[in-house]
Amino acid sequence: MAHSNSCVHLTYSSVRLFWEITKRSLQRHLTYRTATITGLITNLFFGLLRASVLLALLSGSSSANGWNAQDIVTYVALTQALMVVVSVFGWSDLMNTVYRGEIAAELLRPTSLFLFWLAQDIGRSLTALVTRGISIMLVCYFVFAIKVPSSFGQWLVVLLSLGLAMVISFAFRFIVNLAAFWSPDARGMARFAFIALGFASGFLMPLRFFPDWLQHVLALTPFPHMMNSIIEIYIGSSDARVIEILGLQVFWAVTLTGLAQLILARATRRLVILGG
Amino acid sequence: MMLYRHLLLAQLRGAMQYRVSFVLDVLSTSLITITEFGAFALVFSRFQGLGGWSLVQIMFLYGMVEFAFGLTDMLFDGFDSPTFAQHIRKGTLDQFLLRPANLMIQIFGSSLSLRRIGRIVLGIGIFGYAVIHNPQVWQLEKLWYLPFVLIGMGLYFGGLFLVGATITIWTVDSTDAMNLFTYGGKEMMSYPMGIYSDWLRVLFTFLFPVALLNYYPALFFLGKPDPFGLPAWMPFLAPIAGFVMFLVALKFWQFGLKHYQSTGN
Repeated sequence: MAHSNSCVHLTYSSVRLFWEITKRSLQRHLTYRTATITGLITNLFFGLLRASVLLALLSGSSSANGWNAQDIVTYVALTQALMVVVSVFGWSDLMNTVYRGEIAAELLRPTSLFLFWLAQDIGRSLTALVTRGISIMLVCYFVFAIKVPSSFGQWLVVLLSLGLAMVISFAFRFIVNLAAFWSPDARGMARFAFIALGFASGFLMPLRFFPDWLQHVLALTPFPHMMNSIIEIYIGSSDARVIEILGLQVFWAVTLTGLAQLILARATRRLVILGG
Repeated sequence: MMLYRHLLLAQLRGAMQYRVSFVLDVLSTSLITITEFGAFALVFSRFQGLGGWSLVQIMFLYGMVEFAFGLTDMLFDGFDSPTFAQHIRKGTLDQFLLRPANLMIQIFGSSLSLRRIGRIVLGIGIFGYAVIHNPQVWQLEKLWYLPFVLIGMGLYFGGLFLVGATITIWTVDSTDAMNLFTYGGKEMMSYPMGIYSDWLRVLFTFLFPVALLNYYPALFFLGKPDPFGLPAWMPFLAPIAGFVMFLVALKFWQFGLKHYQSTGN
């Protein structure tokens, strides 16, 4: 009895800890209000330019690969809303703690390093979602009449897909940042990874407009599941397709998280050798 | 000019100290251009054109802007809002002001983002490819005009960086707002103006002379008619627009410096 009790207590306290870290990260990011507003305007302006290009490409035909003009505008709004959420432009916070040496203190914490940073990142993502994501989607809804999921069930799978995308994106960024344990040039290497992410996740252009061979190649990587999957579900896919997408997202979330733990274990062992 | 050369050489030597990281930086900035243009070109093959422009015609616009913006961005790095904000916060601007040398040359020489070379080279490549595949451009009197167009664009973007730096004198923190005009303007200039909504096009023709800088010159070089029926001398305003922009920015900069108060460190 006592044993199971302490187990419950343990999970409760770690959930509580996770929530507290998330909450503080949220508060910290909400402080910068002016930056949020200028960011919003810049974001909308770039969205407008991107939509102009795609709509001009479409002009003449009513749809391309199953997407019409409304789908295209919805795609642009979603990518602009989600780009901060899944950090298409990169993230090097963990790497910086390695270079500054703070990582030694971080590893002393009784929580897993991965979970600690994941909680922080979810706090960051949620702020980005509330301050930028939702406002961009609302503006686009009223001004450009973008699509909205038609049922509660669809909203649910969209949010589920978004949550999984956050984990996949974080695990990927975490792994990339771990390169700092091995090389002083990890920053430069990480830049490559994030540029590839922008291209392969469907942020720069809709993946379904790419040549078929390239779509097949990209489907074998985790990148489409950080952004493109959410878009496909949001704009509308058959039930079977939604289940397939979510299944693949779960697969990549688990695989990358496992891989991150594995690499982290090797990295910390290495750190101990260097430090001793 | 001697001073500028000395400072630039120091920058170059500095960059060469960390050769691996420098090479990685150059390669990664090149990759940005490659993925951005690549994604567009790959998608383009599925469609029939963009507002009546073929891919090689768009490459003329795209490559020209990529080159001109890349070069200006590299040279004006010291005035780029995040770099300049550092000068203010760390007090290096105070040091510059105290030295018996030209202030602007010191700022120009303080930082040079050499990694943009990747962008510049690719810009030249895309533009060169476009020139080869657009025979309309091969006329001596047209080629005479080309350097003036490029200088016009350089002055325009340089002016924007100067304005961004001047705003930081008051805000101290770097301002993202300028990105709308620098990177946003660059993005806009990469494609023909006809694809944008009328209000956007009018705003960026007459209030901000973005369309004058490369779209109208491109119509002239490529021998395309103006779909908006503006006067035939529109293509020749590019150098004037760039010059005026830079002059206004310079005045604003001088005004800003008069009101500069050190952060006190």
